[in-house]
Amino acid sequence: MAAAVGQGDFPINYIDVDRTAQRVMNPAGLKYWLWVAFLAFLVAVGVSYWTRQIYVGLGVTGYGQPNYWAVYITNFVFWVGIAHSGTLISAVLYLFRTRWRTAVYRCAETMTIFAVVTAGLFPIIHLGRPWYFYWLCPYPNERFLQPNFRSPLTWDFFAISTYLTTSALFLSMGLIPDIANQRDISTGWRKKFYTILACGWQGTDRQWRNFSMAYLLLAGFATPLVLSVHSVVSWDFATMQTPGMHSTIFAPYFVAGAIFSGCALVITLMVPMRKWLHIEDLVTVWHMDNLSKVVLFTSLVITYSYLTEAFVVWYSQDPIEMMTFHQRFFGSQAYLFGGMILCNCLVPLLLFSPRIRTNMIWLFVISIFVNIGMWLERFVLIAGSLSVAQTPSQWRFYVPKITEVAITVGSFGWFLFNFSLFTKFLPIVSMTELKEGITWLRKSIREPYPYRKAA
Amino acid sequence: MSDGLSRRSFLKLAATASAAAAIPGCEPAARKLIPYVVPDENIVPGEPTFFATACSECSAGCGVVARVMEGRVIKLEGNPADPISAGAICARGQAALQGLYNPDRLAQPMRRKPDGSEVAISWDEATREFHDKLAAAGKAGAGRVAFVGASMGPTLDAITLAWAKAFGSDRVGFWEAFSEEPARKAAEACFGKRDLPVYRLDQAETIISFDADFLGTWNSPVEFGRQFASFRAPKQRNGKLSIGNYAYFGPRMNNSAAKADEWVAANPGSEGAVAMAVLNVVVNQGWVAANSGVDVAAVKTFVADYDPEKISAQTGVPAQTIQRIAAWFGQATEGAVALAGAADPQAHIAAYLLNAVTGNLGKTMVFLADTPPEANSQPEQVKAVIDAMRDGQVDVLVIAGGNPAYSMPPTYAFRDAVKRVGMVVWMGDAPDESAELANLLLPAHHALESWRDTAPRAGIYGLGQPVMRPVFASRAVHDMLIEAAHLAAGQAGQAIPFENAADAISTSWSQLQSKIGVSGTPKEFWDNARRTGGVYSEAKPADAKLVATVWKESSQLPPVPAGLMVWAFPHPFLYDGRGANKSWLQETPEPVSQIVWDSWAEVHPDTAAQLGIQKDYEQTRLFAGLNVIEISTPNGPVELSVNISTLVRPGVIAVPFGQGHTAYGRYAKGIGVNPFAFLPEGLRSISVSAKKTDKTHKLITPLGKSDMMGRAIIESMSMDDLVRGVEPQYGEEPIDQPYEMYPPIAYTGHKWGMTVDVNSCNGCSACVIACYAENNVAVVGKDNVDLGRIMSWIRVERYIPTLEEAGRGPLLQIAPIMCQQCDHAPCEPVCPVFASSHTREGLNAQIYNRCIGTRFCENNCPYKVRRFNWYEPEFPEPLNLQLNPDVTVRGMGVMEKCTFCIQRITAAEINARVENRAVMDGEIVPACAQACPARAITFGDINDPKSAMMKRRDDNKGRTYTMLPGYNALPAVTYLRDLYQEKGKA
Repeated sequence: MAAAVGQGDFPINYIDVDRTAQRVMNPAGLKYWLWVAFLAFLVAVGVSYWTRQIYVGLGVTGYGQPNYWAVYITNFVFWVGIAHSGTLISAVLYLFRTRWRTAVYRCAETMTIFAVVTAGLFPIIHLGRPWYFYWLCPYPNERFLQPNFRSPLTWDFFAISTYLTTSALFLSMGLIPDIANQRDISTGWRKKFYTILACGWQGTDRQWRNFSMAYLLLAGFATPLVLSVHSVVSWDFATMQTPGMHSTIFAPYFVAGAIFSGCALVITLMVPMRKWLHIEDLVTVWHMDNLSKVVLFTSLVITYSYLTEAFVVWYSQDPIEMMTFHQRFFGSQAYLFGGMILCNCLVPLLLFSPRIRTNMIWLFVISIFVNIGMWLERFVLIAGSLSVAQTPSQWRFYVPKITEVAITVGSFGWFLFNFSLFTKFLPIVSMTELKEGITWLRKSIREPYPYRKAA
Repeated sequence: MSDGLSRRSFLKLAATASAAAAIPGCEPAARKLIPYVVPDENIVPGEPTFFATACSECSAGCGVVARVMEGRVIKLEGNPADPISAGAICARGQAALQGLYNPDRLAQPMRRKPDGSEVAISWDEATREFHDKLAAAGKAGAGRVAFVGASMGPTLDAITLAWAKAFGSDRVGFWEAFSEEPARKAAEACFGKRDLPVYRLDQAETIISFDADFLGTWNSPVEFGRQFASFRAPKQRNGKLSIGNYAYFGPRMNNSAAKADEWVAANPGSEGAVAMAVLNVVVNQGWVAANSGVDVAAVKTFVADYDPEKISAQTGVPAQTIQRIAAWFGQATEGAVALAGAADPQAHIAAYLLNAVTGNLGKTMVFLADTPPEANSQPEQVKAVIDAMRDGQVDVLVIAGGNPAYSMPPTYAFRDAVKRVGMVVWMGDAPDESAELANLLLPAHHALESWRDTAPRAGIYGLGQPVMRPVFASRAVHDMLIEAAHLAAGQAGQAIPFENAADAISTSWSQLQSKIGVSGTPKEFWDNARRTGGVYSEAKPADAKLVATVWKESSQLPPVPAGLMVWAFPHPFLYDGRGANKSWLQETPEPVSQIVWDSWAEVHPDTAAQLGIQKDYEQTRLFAGLNVIEISTPNGPVELSVNISTLVRPGVIAVPFGQGHTAYGRYAKGIGVNPFAFLPEGLRSISVSAKKTDKTHKLITPLGKSDMMGRAIIESMSMDDLVRGVEPQYGEEPIDQPYEMYPPIAYTGHKWGMTVDVNSCNGCSACVIACYAENNVAVVGKDNVDLGRIMSWIRVERYIPTLEEAGRGPLLQIAPIMCQQCDHAPCEPVCPVFASSHTREGLNAQIYNRCIGTRFCENNCPYKVRRFNWYEPEFPEPLNLQLNPDVTVRGMGVMEKCTFCIQRITAAEINARVENRAVMDGEIVPACAQACPARAITFGDINDPKSAMMKRRDDNKGRTYTMLPGYNALPAVTYLRDLYQEKGKA
């Protein structure tokens, strides 16, 4: 064994965990507020374009026959996908007692909430008459009209709202002990704010017991959602007869893709956060390494899915499906498909190298590739397949206009805006759980990373 | 809709207008109109009233019925009593409504100031000025007054002549851009009279067309559409089930050529020579009919120069082709007919001779006794009027119709001549290029607002009555002329004995009764004519014999065209440009090129390569043209975007007529090129040079790919296969025993369905425009069509077969595609709010109020027939008055689609219930089926095996198919396959 690094056998103590996490929440400086203002500006741009779209009509977009779905649904699926890793890390890995989850799960869960909130906007942005979006939910009315339960969009409505509720509950419950901690040390309006959120937490045995049980139950409840939500989203497409979408592999393939993109976005967020918020001691290379292994694994799963999807089409010998795939691979928009393969299947293979897995810059770059690749995947799937549907006379390739671009950029602004505010006002790493597993945290700091040669 | 008619003002209008509906054409002498079906005391708000009148959009003279609701005409339909239209109507005829309600119509009289600007004046002032100038001109001497304009029917034209005479002038020119002059000249040469024959295509076994686009623009397309469908339907000929043989010679594939067994891409100008070569073969092969009475030796001498081999060398048309097609013609035992539409008079003579020598004169080509006199002036007469204008001999010129400033050949120098006229008075509806030249602009009634009569052929006397009160403060042209004669021409003016045009029409009709010997009181005759739209009688065939002088006609070989040629063809919708201000016609894709809202230069890929153009489209649009070429014409260079197409002869640049307006309203102005401006008189082609420019201009089409990729969309089968009972294989195999999760829907009452005969459809697009008119379908404009947002609920889909496919199958695959009203409608389960739902009668209803615009339905529709309102639809006033009150105007953000005209279904069902009976077969006719000249669409009840629609399926068992059966959507529309002949066997 190599020699110990850091501050001896106990490089980090309970108080260090608390202080590091609390330091993040110290009143912010100018740089932070400039960053938030920039994000707010992006949101404002997106909102103004959306307002114009509602007022003038969807005609301001590049939509048209046959691309009745395009960027907005792509964004919807993208953000729902992002939302998946949160529950995977917080619930599934919790049940499996995975040790490295403690440092990243809060971040992943927060990401989940804001990703779902962002995703939920897109079906509304997409609607021709968004002011009637509430017709999608069953509510008592004098005409006894209910939504159509045969429509995958109705399933979507339930899947997403269930997921949002569960995730929000899970997140806010997990926050309670940490918030109580904050409550005890803060003053002024923050104290009031934390007091409400802490729900009277005293840290008694009884509370801890109930907390643990409730957390376990919620984790058990959330686990099937990891599989179900994105399966339901995939059925939006798989139940359609449109060539290029009508495939039974979609549910597992979408779930794998969702975890892939979600974990990649956790990396994208974590790498700068570690540096800027100085939490390298709480989120160590060990954590990042494990996250990237998930990315690598899911990348292989979706590569396999791509191959299976194409194989099944070839095996079916259905001329219309074959032509759609031919267009996808070799048509005039094949560069999108090529980009998707590069980003999702080839670039993540670099993660086989332990050096790259432990190099934050490499990880960040690769995770950006994955994010782009997964967005492209959905775009190719939706806009690409619809472009070359059954009647060739109606073929047409879609090109987005400024409205879609602005709203998409605005959605990233909206997500990061919320996320940035969260990091300043609520603990972005779980102090409680890090302290519970401090042995492993110490180990990951103390011992040189197994793959890294001794300095 | 946001602007226009609110509910409140609609009700107000309905109340006042229904009172007015009884007297729509009331000025100045109130005359009651007799509705077509119901007597006028029964006019009820919300119930349509039908008035029979005559279509004035071209010279075919179809009878039409105007559907009037609350005093506004909302739809034109064919008049079933009229033997020409027989209840059908073409695209251009339907769009007459957009001329009537055109937003750019002149609303009040205008005077042009010396600086060129226009100033509105009162009618009194305008009339005074008009009368003063006329009086002065009349006093100044003979021939100081002139008229150039369109013919408006025999009675009104007679008034025009009388008006001119009252001012001591005979300078009247009735101008028509696409004149029948070559046909009349040829008839004079062959038969010694300038009459035009009528054709009976349905009686023929073989048709040869020498560039006569008889299904699109030539002569009488509605009538020919019907006849051709019958000609081409499989029937027993010579004891064998067969379809007619049909060959088309012409530089470009059009609707007519698309249905041919063989399209021979002859060079423009060579049709005459080729026709003579066909005649040569027919005569030399001894296929001259014994009873034709033709001097065979004389014909042989006449065509001696036209040996097929020699003509082949000259025109590039293979000699074998000429011989083969001549054999079809000569050996047809059950009649054959040759048609000529080319500008070359030689082609017309040859076609007449072909019909005569094979004994088809009087059979498929008939001259009728008592043919009405020519409506249009001969070119020399028109030129004489213009020359007089140029020489300063004319003080007052009236221009009414015909748009001579736009459509006259440059050699006439009409614009220059007009400058020498002191006072130019323009009368019309939408101010066009000719109005730009006028000093005084007088808003005239649209044809649907005025009294007219028509005489399209012997035995048919059409009556055009006003079908509603005028939209604007306009006056009838001939009311103005009669008034001017009475008030400004002194004693001479009193020679016109009529009060006004209405009086003139009724007077001439009372004379007509005695002339044609119909019994009954004059009132009965008049009322009956107004009720049925005219008087229709069987005309006797006239004796027509070839005159001996025909053999002395010069029959020189045409010069061999060298290099590139520009050849202009009438646009099937814009025609000679008169359709350009109608947005329906601009937005409906030209059936063969599928291009909208533009002019284009159609060139063959080889020619394009010579010009240095390879790829000619943008990536997003797989098809539309992009590169601009500069064509140098004698009248200066012209720039046009290139549409590369295999459907045009190499070396020919085909350009449509109809665009290139510098005036004529918002829809027409500033689009494309006007070929009239550079073509020589009487010709449609000219040798040019062309070069590629660096500019790009995108041609707009709603079409994606032209390749059907063997999918089961528009199917065809050979006649032999039909006889043998062999079904063609398209795409994936249909599912034998589809798995059904839900129990099948039980349709206890009606179950509506359609049978569409692809073999009959010629792509004329009458159905498309009928649907626009009936269902308040919005026009979205050029840019939005480019984005794939065309709203038409029914589209004429066309695919170009590959060379190999075209070698055996049809030359072009054309069929109307509307919502297939599937039983397993893919659109229905995916709608989260039940906006798309199934009716108990098997329709896929779309509930606009409920739609939130997820657009899931269209994604799942294999036929891609649903349309989304990307913007709030616009109906610029007064086009909103045309909206059908029975159909919802959809707002922004909702999907819409074909409903099989559910408003018509419901109306019939309500009627039936009121009368306590079942709905009868044929009682419900959707707008598309009603308009179709070829009767390709039949609507009916699938649950009623005796319905005409089901019978049509049964009668054509061997060729029924449903589109894309692999999706197991179970459409209610069954298509009948297109039929073709095995090549070489025909």
